[in-house]
Amino acid sequence: MDGIDMQGVGSSPHRLEIMEKVTGSAEYIADLSRPNMLHAAITQSTVAHAKILGYDISDAMAVPGVVCVLTGEDFPDGRMGAFIKDEHAIAKDKIRYFGEPVAVVAAETEAIAREAAKRVIVKYEELPAILSPEEGLAEGAAIIHEDLDSYIKVFPAISSGNMASYTELNEGDLEAGFAEADLVVEGTYDTAPQAHLAIEPCGALADIDKQGRVTLWSANQSVFRVQANVCESLMMPMGKLRCLTPRVGGGFGNKMEPHIQPLVVRMTQATKRPVKMILNREEDFECVRARHPFKVRCKTGVKKDGTITAREVEVLLDCGAFGDDSPGVLGYSLLMSLGPYRIPNSKASGKLVYTNKLRFGAFRGFGNPQVAFAGETQLDQIAEKLGMDPLDLRQKNLIQPGDVWFGGGQVASNGLQECVDKARAASDWDNRKSRTAPKGKRRGTGVALSAHISGLLGTGAIIRVFEDGSVALNTGAVDIGQGSDTVLSQMCAEALKIPLEKVSLASPDTDGSPYNWGTTASRVTYTTGRAVVGAAAEVEKQLKEHAAQMLECSEMDLELRPGGIVGVSGSDKEVSFHQISLRAHWAAGGPIVGHHTWVFNQPTIDPKRAVCSGIPFPQVGVFSFGCLIVDTLTDEASGKTEVAEAWSAVDVGKAINPSSVEGQIVGGFVQGMGFALTEEMVWDGPKLANPTLLDYKVPTTLDTPYNIHSIIVEAAEPDGPFGAKGAGEIGLVAVPAAIANAIADAIGGHVHSLPMKPEKVLNKMLEIEDAT
Amino acid sequence: MLTSMTKTDFQKPKTVEEAVTLLKEAGDDARPISGGATLVALMNARLVQPSRLVSLSAIDELTQCTYQSDGSVRIGAMRRHRQTAFESNLKAAHQVVSGAASQIANPPVRNMGTIGGSISFADPAADYPPSLVAANAEIEIAGPEGRRRIPAEEFFLGWYETALEPGEIVTAVILPPVSESSVGQYEKLCRIAGDFALASVAVTIDFNASNTVTSLRLAVGGCGGGPIRVEAAEQALIGTKLELDAVVDAAELVVAELDPIDDVRGSAEYRLKVVPRLLQRAFNNLVETREPAQ
Ligand SMILES: Cc1cc2nc3c(=O)[nH]c(=O)nc-3n(C[C@H](O)[C@H](O)[C@H](O)COP(=O)(O)OP(=O)(O)OC[C@H]3O[C@@H](n4cnc5c(N)ncnc54)[C@H](O)[C@@H]3O)c2cc1C
Repeated sequence: MDGIDMQGVGSSPHRLEIMEKVTGSAEYIADLSRPNMLHAAITQSTVAHAKILGYDISDAMAVPGVVCVLTGEDFPDGRMGAFIKDEHAIAKDKIRYFGEPVAVVAAETEAIAREAAKRVIVKYEELPAILSPEEGLAEGAAIIHEDLDSYIKVFPAISSGNMASYTELNEGDLEAGFAEADLVVEGTYDTAPQAHLAIEPCGALADIDKQGRVTLWSANQSVFRVQANVCESLMMPMGKLRCLTPRVGGGFGNKMEPHIQPLVVRMTQATKRPVKMILNREEDFECVRARHPFKVRCKTGVKKDGTITAREVEVLLDCGAFGDDSPGVLGYSLLMSLGPYRIPNSKASGKLVYTNKLRFGAFRGFGNPQVAFAGETQLDQIAEKLGMDPLDLRQKNLIQPGDVWFGGGQVASNGLQECVDKARAASDWDNRKSRTAPKGKRRGTGVALSAHISGLLGTGAIIRVFEDGSVALNTGAVDIGQGSDTVLSQMCAEALKIPLEKVSLASPDTDGSPYNWGTTASRVTYTTGRAVVGAAAEVEKQLKEHAAQMLECSEMDLELRPGGIVGVSGSDKEVSFHQISLRAHWAAGGPIVGHHTWVFNQPTIDPKRAVCSGIPFPQVGVFSFGCLIVDTLTDEASGKTEVAEAWSAVDVGKAINPSSVEGQIVGGFVQGMGFALTEEMVWDGPKLANPTLLDYKVPTTLDTPYNIHSIIVEAAEPDGPFGAKGAGEIGLVAVPAAIANAIADAIGGHVHSLPMKPEKVLNKMLEIEDAT
Repeated sequence: MLTSMTKTDFQKPKTVEEAVTLLKEAGDDARPISGGATLVALMNARLVQPSRLVSLSAIDELTQCTYQSDGSVRIGAMRRHRQTAFESNLKAAHQVVSGAASQIANPPVRNMGTIGGSISFADPAADYPPSLVAANAEIEIAGPEGRRRIPAEEFFLGWYETALEPGEIVTAVILPPVSESSVGQYEKLCRIAGDFALASVAVTIDFNASNTVTSLRLAVGGCGGGPIRVEAAEQALIGTKLELDAVVDAAELVVAELDPIDDVRGSAEYRLKVVPRLLQRAFNNLVETREPAQ
């Protein structure tokens, strides 16, 4: 088979589903329908914090075409939550944020359902609304979850009052570290809530069979998390719910935990008809989830030569009304708060506080971009005070191969040095001061480094050899547009030395797929890839058992040959997968099925090294690294900043599909740029003021630099599949910090608050002008 | 009745008179539709449910832009933003209008939206209103009583309100003759490409042979209910050569007249800070393009 492009690892074939996507025929949740289907819509609360006294659904029921109205009274008392089981499927007894679903209406058309949903009357007794973490912690504050103590928590949570979680990590001797320092810099930094804005809003469709078993399709990042959440909140046995997925139009964390899936499942149970609900953009903004606003206090001590001696980080997170992934975000942000540096004495601690706002949750970067913004801008402030080049200061303190992470976790592969070297060279960093700006603009160049994990929890893969010798791969990993279907198939093809077209991929199905925690935590390529490689090894073993009998030789002498062939080393004797599979199906041994499952189990914390409490996950992942350099132009009249060019070097272990990796680097950059410069969810009292694309602004192509240079670095992860580790989030993490540093380079001072919109930058420019 | 089940009657007349009659017949719930860029979005959001839509797209005279013998330019109400942005009839100070058109939204909206629709909707952050005030334009209106013309300044009454009476439509925008030595400039500040203005400034100026300002009009957008013209600032600059001091003083007079609010695009405070800076930039750019040697 020489000369045939197998499209295996390291090549960039087109996405498997490319034709249906570019021709617009791909089916997303909104495209699905079932015979006799009802359409559902939600009624949203019009207060932020209240006791529910009762409902009047008569007006809604009276609308012709309405079939069923369900309120909190019609839902079981089950509670779900990734870390703290604090959330019902729908508001029951209490309202906890403005816009929270309080009733669901099913009708013959969507328009009727939406109209009737406006007519559901809820009687409230209002309670004082808590709209910031500070208010939540204040003495005498109204309590949002009265039963917090009795909720089930899946980690050793430290919680009380409105504080959902407290986490702390300590290493070394903080006081001694600061005493040793020649310079101590301290600052506070804050970040705004960012909306995920997946192009596809959330939606779900459920149908029920004659035995009461429900099938659920939804926009999701994990059919298995959907199943777990729906079953917990509706108190259903897991076997009574099958979860499937159509194509998914982006997630970024928004679709990892539940949205409206429990509502449509309950409605299909109540009506015995298929029920579909698609959120509109406003609803998607108002009642799903968003990136946490952070307040970060960061203090760093350094010696005159730039050696960092100590760092202390304290964060305050707005949790919103429900725990969701927030305890994880808190713990993870603290774990990452030192950045990829050797800092011997450190303390990171933080509080997560319930408020009467939309829940905040997982979003690409998972708390890391927020702490990186603080830590990496503070490094530049230190460099300036020491008169050092910002990149040299970082270089002096880089975590080195063989070093462990904050807390004591092992770091196996580490391509950070190569990232720094390559970004420095590509951007011509050392000559950056010679670049000029057009009239009326100020040019700045900034750098920031980053690290991120890929890993977490359980995963599996099953490979079955068809009678014709091609294979079926089934992992249960949902491709949300990032390309994992293609990448996993490439790995399967590579491992079995067959062309990519000989691998057919099963769509995720909780009935038939092995478990996959989810498409999140930059994990699918690394964790599911390992499962694929493991399952392929199992298939290879079985193929060789057959081949040994068919070719009358020892298994040890057999090798896989390109194109689906097992041959005897050093001879031309061989059999094809096709021949082997026919024998296995009809004659001897039984069909060939290989499977592999595993759970990430490398400890995050070494108790001999670090003293920690409230850690949300004991086993996090392996590390990817990045170095980002950006060139910006700030308008002198308005303070508005644009990114002129960017160089993003990222260590991904091995680029299984290089153009997909570039897609992640560029996409992460642009999403980070929005977070840095324009995106901000704004509340007007208890109500979200900008839940539309007219008012909430993401950068367009015209706001995006033409040149975002992706520089792929490959420091192989020893246990990664073909050396690969994650690439999904690392490209975003450093973006706000690098842009902040570039702006500071241009105007002479740092803005400590995201987004760095024109107003904040102009105020900083004027403040600096006034001072000089 | 359910809003979703409301039927809308759609008409496409060939003349202005027919359009006016069709609107009058149907009463208050009827609406003219031009590009539909705004109206269809409002209908989708169920904010308006017209009983009748009268499309102006088949009325020939509304689709023309003509250079008239007296030097004025007549822009038909149905002219798309993209056409106006590239309009070869717009020269010298009239470029304040083509400049504004070229900065509206994005290419798809510029291909759809019309000058008549934009000014009739009168969004306080829209781009045409300040540019038309600076250009000293007149708005031609047709209604059951026939046609009338009013200055742009009197057309925009603030916060989506205009001088249009019920049943009236905009038929054209007329720009007065300008001298070759005049210049026009539109400066827009927005959060991202394609957004409405956070603030904008429009200026037209004419100079004599010794570069002294002989006439000047300026208007600010996005800082109140409609375009804000500041005559005191105009007067202060006439007779100057736009020296920095003069511009800074005039900008202060402008700021005193602004009436901005805090919204998601920006704070009132920021608008007050940034408008003088935008003005300064606009004047700088104009002076420089006139005297490239400097
Ligand atoms: C995404 C987006 C971004 C935008 N950004 C900008 C921007 O940056 N700057 C900007 O200035 N505008 C912006 N707009 C508005 C855009 O310019 C619209 O096209 C314009 O405001 C309306 O023009 P239209 O021809 O589409 O009017 P339509 O949508 O057809 O009508 C708008 C309203 O005016 C009435 N109307 C229409 N024509 C007439 C007439 N001749 N006489 C009387 N009444 C009439 C209609 O009944 C309706 O009430 C944006 C619009 C969109 C959708």
